[in-house]
This record gives sequence, C-alpha cells and structure tokens, in this order.
Amino acid sequence: MKKVLLLCLLCAQLTVSGQSINLARSHRRWFMPDHAKLQFAGGTGFLSGGPGYISRNRTLETDFLFGYLPEEFGGDALITITGKTTYSPWSISLPNSYYIKPFSLGMYLSYTFGPQFDWKWPKYYPKGYYWWATSVRPGLYVGGKVGRDVMPRTRKRQLELYYELGTYDLLLISYVQNTGFLKPGDILNLAIGFKFGF
Amino acid sequence: MYNIILNSSLTNNFALNRVTLLLLLFFLLSLASCDSLFLYNPNQVTLLNGQSNLNNKNISLLASNPPQDTLRFILMGDTQRWYDESEDFVKSANSQKEISFVLHAGDISDFGLAQELKWVDRIMSRLNVPYMTVIGNHDIIANGPDAYKKMFGPLDYSFTYGNYKFIFINTNSREYAFDGTVPNVPWLRAQLADNPDGKEMIVVGHVPPYDNDFDKKLEPEFAGLLRDNPNVNMSLYGHQHSFTDGEYYKDGVRYVVTTSMGARGYLLIKLWKGGQEVKRIEF
Repeated sequence: MKKVLLLCLLCAQLTVSGQSINLARSHRRWFMPDHAKLQFAGGTGFLSGGPGYISRNRTLETDFLFGYLPEEFGGDALITITGKTTYSPWSISLPNSYYIKPFSLGMYLSYTFGPQFDWKWPKYYPKGYYWWATSVRPGLYVGGKVGRDVMPRTRKRQLELYYELGTYDLLLISYVQNTGFLKPGDILNLAIGFKFGF
Repeated sequence: MYNIILNSSLTNNFALNRVTLLLLLFFLLSLASCDSLFLYNPNQVTLLNGQSNLNNKNISLLASNPPQDTLRFILMGDTQRWYDESEDFVKSANSQKEISFVLHAGDISDFGLAQELKWVDRIMSRLNVPYMTVIGNHDIIANGPDAYKKMFGPLDYSFTYGNYKFIFINTNSREYAFDGTVPNVPWLRAQLADNPDGKEMIVVGHVPPYDNDFDKKLEPEFAGLLRDNPNVNMSLYGHQHSFTDGEYYKDGVRYVVTTSMGARGYLLIKLWKGGQEVKRIEF
C-alpha cells in the first residue's frame, strides 16, 4: 500500500510538470517524457535511470529513476525508486551549439525496497522510539551540466552530462551536530549522469 | 568546400571532447581517493580495507600483551550521533594509565548505517589500546546487523584474558519483536559452562536484563544463569544513558551500566582476585 501511495505521489508530480509541456509542444502527448537520464551513484543506486520532464522555460526538471545496486558494489543488492527535481536557472551558450548550465539545485526522495526497511515502525516499538523512516530518504544536491544541441534528423535534441554533489537527511544532521569531527567531505557524495533529450 | 568546413568543425569538436573527457577523468581520479565519494545507497555496506572482523583482530592485539594480576579497562558506550564527544572520550581514555582495553557497550551507530560504524572506528582506532564492541539496538536497524557482522564479527562472542573470560551477547530483544531468540540463552548457558580453568566471567550486553527493551520472558532465565554461576560476579551494560551500579536482583551479581558519550562519561573498571572497583569518569 505504501509503495502504491508513493508511486501515486510521484505520478501526480509528473502530471503537473507534464501539463506545462503540453502547452509548449502541442505535437507531443502530455504524458510523453521529454528526456531520459542515466545516473551513476548519488544514493539512488549504482546505476539509476528513467524518464523525466522539463518545464516550459527549461529550468526545472523532474525525473523518475529506477535504481539498482549489485551486491558486489554495495555489500547488499538494493532496488531503489527515486523522484527528483532539479532547478538550473542559467544557461550559457558556447560555440558549436554547446552550452553550460553552471549551477543546479535539487532535491530527491528515494524509496529502497527490502524487509529490513520500514516506512512505519512496527507495533512492538513504543511511539517515537525511533523518529526516522528507514525506507525513505530525502536528499539535497547542487551541481552543474554541460550539454550540446544535436540534430540527428529533423528535431533538435539535447545531450547533457551532469554532476551533482549531495547529501541526505541523516548525514546532514550528523554533520550539523559534529562539525568538529565531521568535515563537509564526509557527508558529500558525487553523482554523474547523462541526459538524452527526446 | 562544404565538406572541408564540416571536417574541420568535427575535428574541433573532437579535440574539445577529448579535453573535456581528460578534465573529467582527472577530476574523478583526484576525488576517488576520498573515502565514500560515491554513495550508491545509504544502506550500502562497503567497508575500507582492513575494516573487517575488528573484534577478533583487537582480541589478538590484546593477547600479545601479557596480562597483569590486576586488570584495568574502560567501559563506555552509546556513541550514537556524538562524534565530537567521542573524540574527547578518546583523548580522556588515552590519559588513563595501565588500561588494557576499552569495551564499547553498544549503540555504536545512531541510524544503523555502515558509514556511522566507519566513523566511530576512525575515532576509536586512535585509542592507545584495542577496543571490543557489543551490538546495540541502534546497530540492528536497517542493514545494521549485516554491517556489524562484516565489520566487527559475530553478534555473540567471547574471549579470555588472564584470569578472566568476557562474554558478549546481543540483548536487544525488542528489535526481534520479543520472539524469544534474543538474547540467545542456550548459547550463554554453553559459554558459562565452558570454563575449564574456573576463570572469573563477565557478561557484557547492551540492554540490561531488567530494562523494558529486554525480553521479559527471558529475563528470569538470563539473570538466573548469572546468579547460579559462582564465577560470575559482574555484568556490564549501556543503553540507559546514565550510570547505575548495584546488585539489582540482590543475588550476588553486580550490574554495572555506563552512560552515553552525549553525557560525557565512562567507567574505569579494576579487577583483581577477589575484588573489583568501578570508578565514574567525566570528561
């Protein structure tokens, strides 16, 4: 049930951003994604990927990622689904139809599947015994990307390479309370991804 | 003519791509040396080289020092989310004289993350003496048990040093829904029975048997095993974030509980033939 709810929430989010696309490019059905991403690391799997949507002014992207972490890289095989939103306010054009989006700010919410992870703590715990959910992790990141407009046939498409430097709630609270021992590098992690515009 | 322009532009792009790629590679390599630069999942269990089976390694390290007639060690616990305080603990512990080892009474982590165990090991490895751990309830959350097993070893284990046998047992019954398997009472019985040299035995756990997080159905049997064994006079715990010390069941067994790192305290324990001394230290 909790998984269904999460999916519904994500779908609702996608629908909202999808409608703005409909106005922008009426030739495409509103639910068709604008791009796909493939991402390495970033807390959402060893590799994660999936469809995404971009706002009419091309600054806000919303993505839905399905991630997998094999046991040989993570000590445990884990499947994660993630909804993320990235805001990249500036785009700088370069020669040869290259461009740079120097700054991005984003957040994500991921859900990791497994019997050892909970959305709601089991009944044998008194209320408030633990305060966080182990299956759902919110995270924050900053980043940037470099892209290029290409025209393989008739339509312009974007190819982008992006990076994100981020952390998640549990590490952030650990850092805030232990600025002597923990350094920003202890809680930050790097994600690298590729975006293919449709 | 058109072809030539196209070719030169392609060459330019190629050169630019190569430079970008090289820069990217350099950037990645320069960062790859940092611990945990890439996070695949918060619940991943990826450890550093040599960060495995630490309890056993530290027991071997301890065994290389000849035991004295009087044994002095530190009981501390509940590092949880108190890294700065734990660093101060290490400084304080390193100033204590003639300490043989440090016992961590559990709740090494706060969220059951392997990352937290790694941070605490980074702090505790600066101790002048080896340290051994027992698993706490916070270490049993999410992938915590897997991380603990890989990093420290079995959840129940024991070692002997000099005239003493230390028995470490997982007493976090609530995390197992009080299903009667934790603590593993038959294992404890076997451990207490396996004492051919008649050593003094000290049982170490995270949750004390009289705590609400300990399985009430197993409490009488657990406490009874300690009471009925003439070689058990003391049992050590954490979990309660405050010091307590006394014969809880008035049965000849002294139950000693240490406080948390957040409360900035630990215990200095001295054992000798026929005697024991527990001193509270604040740092």
